[in-house]
Amino acid sequence: MSNSAHHPAPMSPVEQRVAALEALLTERGLVPEGFIEQLTRRYESETGPMNGAKVVARAWLDPQYKQRLLADGTAAIAELGFGGPEGDHMVVVENTPIVHNVIVCTLCSCYPWPVLGLPPAWYKDPPYRARMVREPRALLAQMGCPLPEEVEIRVWDSSAEVRYLVLPQRPPATEGMTEAKLAALVTRDSMIGVARL
Amino acid sequence: MTTPLSLSGLDPPRRNGELAFDAPWQRTVFALAAAVIEHAFGGDREPFRQQLIRAIAAEPGRPYWESWTAALEALVPSLPDDPCPDRT
Repeated sequence: MSNSAHHPAPMSPVEQRVAALEALLTERGLVPEGFIEQLTRRYESETGPMNGAKVVARAWLDPQYKQRLLADGTAAIAELGFGGPEGDHMVVVENTPIVHNVIVCTLCSCYPWPVLGLPPAWYKDPPYRARMVREPRALLAQMGCPLPEEVEIRVWDSSAEVRYLVLPQRPPATEGMTEAKLAALVTRDSMIGVARL
Repeated sequence: MTTPLSLSGLDPPRRNGELAFDAPWQRTVFALAAAVIEHAFGGDREPFRQQLIRAIAAEPGRPYWESWTAALEALVPSLPDDPCPDRT
């Protein structure tokens, strides 16, 4: 768990390169003391799919919020206190019985950090990035999300300019649930669009 | 609800709240890029992102955080000479 500077084992080549970068950038005055720890703590514990889940649950319960969310994702998400780097141009796309949305970044790994945290490993890997564009239906089925032929799949390619978030369909038999209970049902994968609830 | 996925031998986690880093150096290099973006480029992510795109395209099969490292290395020569002109 600790980000120890003291490795008992010899450093691997990539560890050596990162250590050299750290030394160089620190010397250039670009890495204030404590920056690495503060930043990673923030991303590991304070941002994550639980933020996006709150947004989704609110949209399920409050039709006016949902309207605002679909009209201006960034502003509506900021209403709940989420925003910042990698989340400044958010577009929320809504799943319906006949449309299923899924997000990808074909060029690198753009991802809506403030509402989903850091991307899972598979999101960044070439097979996902390439296949989700080429054969989304087959890949979704392989990922445990088979979709009926009549459901249209829309693949959204994230970029530096726009980050997408999927608004999943509210599961059946959840009437009367509180916002907190609903949020607990919302998974990260459903907000990427590789799972349904 | 869902079945496990096999993506080229990867076994992606299916749970929320998963750790994003497999090793401390990955956490470090992630934060170093953030530091450069914030303190050398005034929050502009584009220079780093372009390097990352290039690094991934150059070796698509390379592990992600190694491409990230290569991207940061490639960015170093273009860093402004004095990123903090007002520092004393």
